[in-house]
Amino acid sequence: MQNMTSERLILPVGVGAEFLLDEWSCEIRQQESRLLTFWDTFEWGVWFSGHLLYSCEGVYHLCTREEGWPGIELCEEKSVGRRRFWNEFATPEMRAKLEGMLGLRGLAPVVEGTFRRRQDDLRNGVGKIVCRLEWLIVSLGKQQEELLHSCRVIPLLGYEAEADRLEAYLFQAGAKISGEGPLELLLRQSDRIPREYTLRPPFGLKSETPAREAVGRVVRSMLEIATGTVPGILSDLDTEFLHDYRICLRKIRSVLTLVKEVYPAEETLRMRQILGDLARQTNRLRDLDVYLLARDEYLELLPPGLRPALDEMFDDFSAERGIEVRRVISKLRAHSWSRLMGEIEECFSPKNPHPPSPASALPVGPLVFRCIYKRYRKIRVIATEIGVESSDDAVHQLRIQCKKLRYLMEFFAELIPREEVTALQKLLRRLQSRLGEFNDASVQQQSLLNYWEEKKSGSDVALGLGGLVSILYHRQQQVRSLILQAVKEFCDDATAASFKKVFKQPLSVLTTTPPRSSQS
Amino acid sequence: MKIISSYSIKGGVGKTALSVNLAYALREAGRRTLLLDLDPQGAASFYFRLESAKKFKMRDANSMAEGLRKNIRESDFPGLDVIPSNLEYRRLDILLDGMTKRRKQLRSILEEFKPDYDVILMDCPPNITLLSENVFRASDVILVPVIPTVLSRRTLEQLTGFFTDEELPGDMLRPFFSMAQKRSKMHREIMADLPTAHPGFLKTVIPFSADVEKMGLHRMPLPAYSPTCAAAVAYRALCAEILSQPSLRP
Ligand SMILES: Nc1ncnc2c1ncn2[C@@H]1O[C@H](COP(=O)(O)OP(=O)(O)O)[C@@H](O)[C@H]1O
Ligand SMILES: [Mg+2]
Repeated sequence: MQNMTSERLILPVGVGAEFLLDEWSCEIRQQESRLLTFWDTFEWGVWFSGHLLYSCEGVYHLCTREEGWPGIELCEEKSVGRRRFWNEFATPEMRAKLEGMLGLRGLAPVVEGTFRRRQDDLRNGVGKIVCRLEWLIVSLGKQQEELLHSCRVIPLLGYEAEADRLEAYLFQAGAKISGEGPLELLLRQSDRIPREYTLRPPFGLKSETPAREAVGRVVRSMLEIATGTVPGILSDLDTEFLHDYRICLRKIRSVLTLVKEVYPAEETLRMRQILGDLARQTNRLRDLDVYLLARDEYLELLPPGLRPALDEMFDDFSAERGIEVRRVISKLRAHSWSRLMGEIEECFSPKNPHPPSPASALPVGPLVFRCIYKRYRKIRVIATEIGVESSDDAVHQLRIQCKKLRYLMEFFAELIPREEVTALQKLLRRLQSRLGEFNDASVQQQSLLNYWEEKKSGSDVALGLGGLVSILYHRQQQVRSLILQAVKEFCDDATAASFKKVFKQPLSVLTTTPPRSSQS
Repeated sequence: MKIISSYSIKGGVGKTALSVNLAYALREAGRRTLLLDLDPQGAASFYFRLESAKKFKMRDANSMAEGLRKNIRESDFPGLDVIPSNLEYRRLDILLDGMTKRRKQLRSILEEFKPDYDVILMDCPPNITLLSENVFRASDVILVPVIPTVLSRRTLEQLTGFFTDEELPGDMLRPFFSMAQKRSKMHREIMADLPTAHPGFLKTVIPFSADVEKMGLHRMPLPAYSPTCAAAVAYRALCAEILSQPSLRP
């Protein structure tokens, strides 16, 4: 009963149904032409999950991606106007599928193509249909010029021999079984190549790489990623561009202090200042993003009766965000911004002839291992002082130290034997996420109180805010005991022994240059 | 899966016209349909532009089923497949005669196609033979075209008599009027009278129509080239009547 789905043949441009007419009797039917707009995020979340999302005549279609072709359709949704985030879609299947692919990312059009489809019937001598030909012709955008010309020979049951004969004929005319699918072609034509996006790219480091070269590479990679986020910030497509931009700046800043004396002191200081200034320009916007993203979560914490009271606050945040976005954009467009970025670039360019500094020529491996080990020991010392009654500030200090250790292990992951540290990293991650929760709860309380300070709004808002603050306070206290547990695990003797085994360096290793570099 | 046969002792009464057009209507109604052309003359196959089936070994039920399967041809109309006729079918009688369960062999062969089809429709040659006995025992229902003439009463009685003699369930026989001409007084009289003696008579009447005869020119089912003519409408109505009967619903 069912048709065998035969392979799609890619034909040389010009080999259409007309070409078959000499040999076969072929009924050329009306072709149907559709303009498809393909959507994806900056991180190509849809593409890399093996799917395609396109809209056509007001309907969004989510389908599998099969070698660059739209495959099986999973769900569709009619829409008036454009959808940006997964939660702007209405149908449950669409939301569920897209949530994982998109996360907090926004959809933007990636490429447009015209897909012309036609099914012709091929008949034998007595006029019996023996196979159907499914043509698919793809052009870029609304152009006429054919980018891809393909045909699928679908034999009718019992006429497989005829289909084989026809395929052989098409092969003679230059047909190929595989080739780039329409999506690959369309994307290449419009210079949009899907690339895996990560804030933790490999830097190509070796243990013996001189420290300055190694740190320089880390900085340059981070700088490149930061620059890549800028168009997204300018178009305000989603909140993650700014988030990543800030992470990159922060990472550059911290690598300069984590591995000390790799660049001349005054240059390091100057760069840290510039990076700090650049990040500060965006502080408020990021804060507002965080509040607004947490809107649903906040509201769920409160009993329904109190929720409307908070709408006013979120409306304020939303309005302020509008202003803040414009401010940040004008900053990023300003001449001074390009100048500062230019200075950073120049400073870390491999061509820049900085004079040597105490650590610049040291092999990065041993140098970094020593930093890691010292940092770990420092954390152990601080950790012993953490108890149930520790101040928020003490916890905050521990969090900062852990973050520095995490950065070090992350930047130089290529140098670290993976098997030996996965367990250590897991413990560190757990501790960090507890510390993060604690910190978030603390910062959120403070900012809600600040908002109250400034606004002194009506009493119902006060009620809502008060409710939230006490929930957050409670949450913070709950996390405390979890932190203690995580600290205990991360600092116990076994973990310490592992850190020592992996990272402790014999004194001799770094003595080629006077060991001036003192650790803080 | 239901098995429907188009059968009459007489030739030229509209069996093949029924098979071809009912098959088309069934697939229009969304039923996956297989038309089995059992008449060595192959008229049904001709209407679908099919060459006769390739020869295959017919030693036993298994080889029969396999041979039939190999000869399935997809018609030009998605959802409707055909097994064309084969002159070899003339030997079917002798062949079936040599088999165990000689009267019930066809049913078990056709069971084989259960997963793929909702309906199997058989276009039968006239006369009563061992093959037709097999057809009777294989079918869930036997549609009998009856031209409203004086002779038709006798023919129908011969058939019901045979069913009684062979202890076949007579209610399987569902006659209907074929090539009926309203303008003929005789036709009208017989059409009023005959069904009273046969409770299984279907209500739908297929009118005599030149459009039907043109099937041979078009070589396709009537509703495919003349979807709205009276006869095409009648074939669809017949299909609907069949589908509406709980016992017949494929
Ligand atoms: N309803 C009808 N009106 C006019 N001619 C018909 C009708 N049904 C069948 N015929 C014609 O009568 C002849 C015999 O019909 P057919 O279906 O081949 O009968 P059978 O299969 O019973 O031998 C064919 O030429 C056919 O075109
Ligand atoms: Mg016939």
